[in-house]
Amino acid sequence: MQATKFQVKLYTRAGGIELEKLVPVFHEWIRNKKISDELLIDVADYAHVPQGPGVVLIGHQSDYYLDVADDRPGLLYSRKRGFDGDFQAGIDDAFQRALRACELLEAESSLDLEFATDEVLFRVQDRLNAPNGDATYAAYKPALEQTSTAFFGAAPSLERVGTEREPFAVRIRTGASGSVADALAKH
Amino acid sequence: MTSWKEQLGDRIPEQLAGEVDLFEGQIELKKQRKLDDKIFAETRLRRGVYGQRYDNGLRDDGTGQKTLAFPCGDLTKGPDTVWDAPGMMRIKIPFGKLTAKQLEVLSELAEENSDSILHVTTRQDIQLHFIHIEEAPDMMRRLASVGITTREACGNSVRNVTACEYAGVCKTQAFDVTPYANAITKFLLGHPDVQDFGRKFKIAFSGCEDNPCGLVTFHDLGAVAHVRDGKRGFRVVVGGGLGAVPVQAKVLAEFCPEEELLPLAQAVSRVFARLGEKQSRARARIKFLVQKVGIDEFKKLVAEEREGLRPDERWTAFLDDLHATDEKPVRDPGAIPSDAPAGFRAWAEHNLKPQAQEGYYSAIVTLPLGDFTATQGRALADLARKYTGDSIRCTVEQNLTFRWLSGVDAVAFYDGLVALQMAAAGAGTITDMTSCPGTDTCKLGISASRGLTGELRKRLTLVEGELDPAVRALRMKASGCFNSCGQHHAADIGFTGVSRQVGGRKVPHFNIVLGGQWTENAKSYGLVVGAVPSKNIPKAVDLITQHYLTNREGEESFQAFIARVGKREFRKVLAPIQKPPPYEEDPSYYSDWGNPREYTIGDIGVGECAGEIVPFVEFGLQQAEQQLHDAQDALEAGQAGAAALGGFTAMVTAAKALVRHLEVQVKDDADDVVANFKTHLHDTTLFHDPFAKGKFAAYLLKMHGEQSYENANDEIAHRALDEAQLFLEAAHACYERLTQAAAAAAE
Ligand code: HEM
Ligand code: SF4
Repeated sequence: MQATKFQVKLYTRAGGIELEKLVPVFHEWIRNKKISDELLIDVADYAHVPQGPGVVLIGHQSDYYLDVADDRPGLLYSRKRGFDGDFQAGIDDAFQRALRACELLEAESSLDLEFATDEVLFRVQDRLNAPNGDATYAAYKPALEQTSTAFFGAAPSLERVGTEREPFAVRIRTGASGSVADALAKH
Repeated sequence: MTSWKEQLGDRIPEQLAGEVDLFEGQIELKKQRKLDDKIFAETRLRRGVYGQRYDNGLRDDGTGQKTLAFPCGDLTKGPDTVWDAPGMMRIKIPFGKLTAKQLEVLSELAEENSDSILHVTTRQDIQLHFIHIEEAPDMMRRLASVGITTREACGNSVRNVTACEYAGVCKTQAFDVTPYANAITKFLLGHPDVQDFGRKFKIAFSGCEDNPCGLVTFHDLGAVAHVRDGKRGFRVVVGGGLGAVPVQAKVLAEFCPEEELLPLAQAVSRVFARLGEKQSRARARIKFLVQKVGIDEFKKLVAEEREGLRPDERWTAFLDDLHATDEKPVRDPGAIPSDAPAGFRAWAEHNLKPQAQEGYYSAIVTLPLGDFTATQGRALADLARKYTGDSIRCTVEQNLTFRWLSGVDAVAFYDGLVALQMAAAGAGTITDMTSCPGTDTCKLGISASRGLTGELRKRLTLVEGELDPAVRALRMKASGCFNSCGQHHAADIGFTGVSRQVGGRKVPHFNIVLGGQWTENAKSYGLVVGAVPSKNIPKAVDLITQHYLTNREGEESFQAFIARVGKREFRKVLAPIQKPPPYEEDPSYYSDWGNPREYTIGDIGVGECAGEIVPFVEFGLQQAEQQLHDAQDALEAGQAGAAALGGFTAMVTAAKALVRHLEVQVKDDADDVVANFKTHLHDTTLFHDPFAKGKFAAYLLKMHGEQSYENANDEIAHRALDEAQLFLEAAHACYERLTQAAAAAAE
């Protein structure tokens, strides 16, 4: 299992979002090294693009999006580069980074954001190593179940989504209803 | 585990496969530090792998410049360009033509290697940002498998050949220029005669004279279709360009028969390669050569060159099948249903153009700031397959045009766009602005052209319905600096990023350029009326459009109005908003649109605009040209004091650039610059003209000593500007001598 380009999205509880407000927040994260074990580089603002990537905190190892795809705002964690560790640890790490970013965003008083934990979208942006098909799903399903349970407690239900033209994607109903902090504490 | 190389196999054309393998090999060598920085930079640029802002590993976070600690350490991909730093990939799309499949692959790359955004440029290319160099070879393979090459998208080479997006379907065209643009693209790509240019070379085609189409007048080489006595040919122009001092192309041939087009382009290329400037990049575009020798002499040189060319069957082979590039509609033609809904009608007003072919339309999908997402890209590919076939074109106004839409399907197509939230109306109107990347990603950006464009777009979209039709029809374009990549000279209202010093702080501004003509292939450029703080630009737009509406005579067009009232009047209109409030009163003026960091120009990097890296000195010399240009405007406006000061400032800027080129530390203030200039350039005689000796240097020293620019009258101002002009010429010449000497020493 070579793919490393994992993406994890958690959705906000309330629907609407003022994307412009994320721009100063992400700049401040860069300034104060809020994600201390990653190199944060710049902020890309795509608030003008409907259903787009929203506002992106560009990093070296990974990017953090306040993404509005499908008109469903959420924090999208996106790993871009290799991960030292095995497959399961790689998935765990992606979930953990996504959740930690959610926690940081929830703590921003200018934003008034809260993230739901009942649903997680997992994707792999690597059509060569992880095409969106049943074989990939079979390879990822146990690991995703394990990670989801580790963070959210309950037994999850998984569904592969999208067509083969799209990146490999799995929608996870975690069965949880708690907060982001709960999930991080549980792990 | 397979690789893209194995996976795609022979779907990658053999030659491209070889080129990408070679490039991958060079990446490997560079990683082992076995390749020289400059050579590697040139190689990567020629493959479309460009630098991006902060790739020197430094970035101002709003509190000062910080080092970006990339894990690659001191490994670089060019002089001062950090290996791991994100870069941009410019993907050449000849005349903007895309198939559905190509759009899908581009979308895949945007997701997997970029930030899921595809960006359409003002020269019909697609750019992806934040790319890691090591991912470039596989991206190129995937592009090659659908017939796209990034080769010569950057660098001192023939750039993307552009053409009107309506070529072949337009009502006013003389004929379809697509097969000609296609032939010239293929003929010149990798041609030995275009490998030795001192600078980039841009070619554009237009199907007619009157419409903007190809914007040929600001291209290095432009061809406008004409039929004479039943025979096809082109009016060919040469030596146009934008930049700090925009130039209209001159006529090279009133009528060049179709079979002579390729040889003519080849002859021009050879003359440019042979005689074009190579040392001073600031003067290396062909426009400077044409200016230097004069168009008549240039014509003679080209004619002689043409005589001596060895015949090449490719010159005319493509003429045997001029329909090879034709698009086939996938649906039967028909009329738009008479009961089409109101939303559709509002969109169709500007976004749907009837084609020459009865029952077919071209639909413009307006893209905010030229951006769309990978998901939208796939959905658009589906719409194309269903309704229009492989007929998509990227446009110079950063939109996508879908041709061959049957009237019968127009509403369904529109509904498809609505579902994608891509049905914004008003293509080509005031809300459909064009913008270069500016400070968002460009290393040379001075102001946030995208931030400004986003802001204006947002505000104007809200009031779109209430705008007077004459205002709504205006075009606005923004560039982040004088290089004019946003083509603002050809807009009714254009903006160029400049920075101004206010109370010891830098404030982002835009110079406002009014009355540029978009039609007739951008027949005339606008007038610079003055700089306004970025944050006051929305107000400026209000003031300008109000002034026009209130004072125009009858149905007077905006261009006619500007030409009649002149820039002086607009200076008065803008005067009240030209000065930002002090920082203590309103700090918002001291940061740019969409960027909360305190404004700085410290992030401006060394540009990689083409081929080799552009040294700071050339950036400085260009900036000086711009300042002189502004000073000349000021003089014309009767502001003698400002003009003389501007002339002096231009000299100081040029002097500073040269001093820094000698690696001497110099401060921003004039005293320090002049003192250092005297020590290192005047006293050493480095600045001395071979004939005039120290004469030009003396202009600066004298003006500085006497402070004669203060309270200057008209006569003094005139003299100051003449002297500044000569000083700048001498600065360019001095820089040339210095680089030649350095090159000789290196050998
Ligand atoms: C010294 C360096 C540069 C110079 C002098 C320069 C100049 C220009 C000019 C004059 C144009 C447009 C009009 C024409 O064809 O004459 C242009 C086009 C453009 N430039 Fe630059 N530019 C430079 C660097 C860059 C960089 C670093 C970027 C972005 C990262 C950039 C992005 C663009 C874009 C998007 C266009 C329009 C599309 C295209 O050529 O594909 N330019 N440039
Ligand atoms: S106009 Fe200036 S800021 Fe804009 S892309 Fe060109 S070089 Fe960069």
